[in-house]
Amino acid sequence: MAERTVSVFQPQTKPIKVVKLKVKIGTVVSIGYPLLIYSSEGGKKEERKLKSTQAGTVHLILVKEGQVVQPGEILVELKACSHPTIMNDMCAECGADLRKNDSVSTASVPMIHAIPDLKVSEELALKLGKADNERLLKDRKLVLLVDLDQTLIHTTNDNIPPNIKDVYHFQLHGPNSPWYHTRLRPGTHRFLNNIHDYYELHICTFGARNYAHTIAMFLDADQNFFSNRILSRDECFDPTSKKANLKALFPCGDNMVCIIDDREDVWSHATNLIHVKPYHFFQHTGDINAPPGLDKHENDKLDKGFDLTNINSKTKDVEITEEQKSDKPDKEVKETLNNDGEEEGKGDKIETLNEDSGTNNNEEDKIEKDLSNSDKSDKTNISEELPVTNNENQEVSEDKPLTETKKSTENKKPKEIEKPMEIEKPMENEKPVEIEKPVEIEKPIENSAEAVNEKVPIDQKNSTLEQKRPEDDLIEIDDPDDYLIYLEEILKQIHDEFYNEYDHLESGEVPDLKQVIPKVRSNVLMGCNLVFSGLVPTHVKLEQSKAFQVARGLGAYITPNIEDDTTHLVAVRPGTAKVNSGRRKKKLKIVTPDWLWCCAERWEHVDERIFPLNSKGSKNRHPPPHCSSPEHNISYPEHGMPEMRKRTPSGKFMDTINPLMSFSSDDIADMDKEVEDILDDESDSSEDEATKKDRSDAKNVPDLARNALTESSSSSEDSLTAEYPRGYKRKKCFQPYDQDFQDFNSNSEGEDESPSVKFRRGECVDDMLDYDQEDTQGSMDPPDEVDDGEWNMMGAALEREFLSNN
Amino acid sequence: MFYHISLEHEILLHPQYFGPQLLEKVKTKLYTEVEGTCTGKYGFVIAVTTIDSIGAGLILPGQGFVVYPVKYKAIVFRPFKGEVLDAVVRQVNKVGMFAEIGPLSCFISHHSIPAEMEFCPNVNPQCYKTKDEDVVIHAEGEIRLKIVGTRVDASGIFAIGTLMDDYLGLISN
Repeated sequence: MAERTVSVFQPQTKPIKVVKLKVKIGTVVSIGYPLLIYSSEGGKKEERKLKSTQAGTVHLILVKEGQVVQPGEILVELKACSHPTIMNDMCAECGADLRKNDSVSTASVPMIHAIPDLKVSEELALKLGKADNERLLKDRKLVLLVDLDQTLIHTTNDNIPPNIKDVYHFQLHGPNSPWYHTRLRPGTHRFLNNIHDYYELHICTFGARNYAHTIAMFLDADQNFFSNRILSRDECFDPTSKKANLKALFPCGDNMVCIIDDREDVWSHATNLIHVKPYHFFQHTGDINAPPGLDKHENDKLDKGFDLTNINSKTKDVEITEEQKSDKPDKEVKETLNNDGEEEGKGDKIETLNEDSGTNNNEEDKIEKDLSNSDKSDKTNISEELPVTNNENQEVSEDKPLTETKKSTENKKPKEIEKPMEIEKPMENEKPVEIEKPVEIEKPIENSAEAVNEKVPIDQKNSTLEQKRPEDDLIEIDDPDDYLIYLEEILKQIHDEFYNEYDHLESGEVPDLKQVIPKVRSNVLMGCNLVFSGLVPTHVKLEQSKAFQVARGLGAYITPNIEDDTTHLVAVRPGTAKVNSGRRKKKLKIVTPDWLWCCAERWEHVDERIFPLNSKGSKNRHPPPHCSSPEHNISYPEHGMPEMRKRTPSGKFMDTINPLMSFSSDDIADMDKEVEDILDDESDSSEDEATKKDRSDAKNVPDLARNALTESSSSSEDSLTAEYPRGYKRKKCFQPYDQDFQDFNSNSEGEDESPSVKFRRGECVDDMLDYDQEDTQGSMDPPDEVDDGEWNMMGAALEREFLSNN
Repeated sequence: MFYHISLEHEILLHPQYFGPQLLEKVKTKLYTEVEGTCTGKYGFVIAVTTIDSIGAGLILPGQGFVVYPVKYKAIVFRPFKGEVLDAVVRQVNKVGMFAEIGPLSCFISHHSIPAEMEFCPNVNPQCYKTKDEDVVIHAEGEIRLKIVGTRVDASGIFAIGTLMDDYLGLISN
């Protein structure tokens, strides 16, 4: 940009005396900015200000204070305005129209979330960003970018009943536009209110601008939390990524920026992202504002959501029962729905619900409270807040013992009679699978308390109450989602850690949240030594498995086999060799993978007793998607690489069809030997892991024997409660287990399996083909995915070969 | 600045309105079509005061629509560079503040706000205020500003303002 200079001349016709200079070299002046104060020489002595008629930067000052200046002399030289702020292509300093003139501006950074037209130059952006950072540090705050959809809210376009509590209904585009229904995640207001003291909150969503602002009004009617810091799709540079805007919003770097979002991909898996558990309330609706091109997973598999279509009919049912029970109108009719199918889908759910029929809910809650107080005395916040969420459930159930609730539901339609049955079902397999520690006795109680929490009760007020408070004609759906409590805790921890580090660093240095956040995460399971059993498929290296990455991210150490300092055994199902040997260890805690996922979700060392390994095992071998964290996302080597087919040495196409024909005698001998080996030691070849374990067990036997001597009672208990008696195990237990293993193998990709195993099972010859050819032959051919055209070609070749033979 | 000026406008009327209420319809249509619009030359048409004449309607061949040339007087608001106006603050941020003068929105850059006024993002609502808190400008506050530039485009006029002059700034009652 050519630098124009503007001279400011002495404005009067008589000589003037400069009384005071108001500017220095480098001062940015806008139109009307006072440059100096002067008084006319002679005559009246009144002082006047000389104001700038141009915007720009003071470049030269040619006069001194007290100097007398003749008319027409230059007082000050200004460098013309560099247009550091632009609004609507107009310089906001000097008002110049930048479309008309050929003047160029450096302003390119849209710093204000909702006004992309307002741009500032990079220097100014840096200056403003620095001021922001300083202010944040002074207030001991951090920046939190908050996603809306599926993080704090869930919105649907589906038709839903109009009278659900805590659901907002709105239209965005006039009276005939589609309705939106938005449900706030439970505890959102409290979350925002609490976290507001620690973080400057920004909304960062892929929703359209008026959608974002409408939601912001629901979340924050007084503009206390977000003010105008709302970034919507209209302002996003890149339709598939939110990352691009970070640079503009935070020109001094994002080292004080923390992000909460339910998807990592839009942030390119940034390390300062906390991947939250997606909030899913309305069935069959994913993220309505998912970025284009990226998948809109519906999450229904993971989390069923609430089927609201039945609610109206259910309400009617309740009314009927109310009429029946009209003799006692004072009592609130409670309805507790238990969607058993939903329980299983959730990552943090306990598979079996051990219901203690004798205790009523109040007692259970109390016990849980005590338990959590004693266990998590260091985490007082959590234990204080846990009862709060329980209270919501208590409202529903506290007036009545559980049995009475059942009684009331028994009057109802068959559909709802299913529910007490489902409660009783767990009692059938109530016989605890393992009673190893004395604490275990408390376990079922806690479990049932959890189970009560996870039910989906619909609070339906009695008709007499409705007369008193007509606004209570709302269906209140009790939402088991309490993630925000944990999220709040996580964010507070991060905040503490950040300012802890900041205080220890030399003044001026600011720690980077991109490092602080992984560090906080790695403190979660610090000092834990984990061993996985049945969690990592055999064809995946331990270091590359999701579970390994998750556990490492939480700071745990993972060893392939049980060692002396192993603290946790994470097992998918009972009966594996590791589990059996682990049971003999006194201090080893055996948990389901759900424990690990739960730790990853909440960022806290969850009580292991909630996730004991029982006879059912766990289905959740894979972490729920939100448990993965950025640093876990190492790009795995392509697993299903197409294998290259190789030609037979004879070059004859025919030989490729029948594998036996292409085997050399060595090969066949090898195969025979392999089969022999397998038959000799079936468990060894098919279940490596187990045998390795067994061998190490054998080494440990003296150790165990010593243990048995010193603590004979407990160890005998061990052996009794273990799945199979010790001596019995070897022969008997592998029978079903082996079967299991083979099922699993056939589910997983087959390439890593030895061909002999496959062959033994008599599996399809096509796969065999590739394998054997690879072993025996030398040249390359197209990959083994054979389409029609290739078959035709093969057919033609076959034909030719037959003809030539003839 | 406000002006009371004579303007012309052509009203295109659908044949369904041909009847005894025809001229009434032309008048109401003029109000709806003209009031609230903005042209670069005359600025915002605030209100039609009188309708001076409705010319002879011309039927468009082939369509049946009729075109009435209408002469009317209206109050218009045309902002000028250098003009001093009273405005209501709409939004305050670290780059500056937005204000509205009736239909005209206006931006005032931080640099055009007197240096003694500092941006305070922590108080709610956010504001610019002097150290001694004598003057606090926040959203919904009334200010007097001077226009330093205007941008006229199809949808309206946008202005750049400044508070850097005598007697500008917060209007205290």
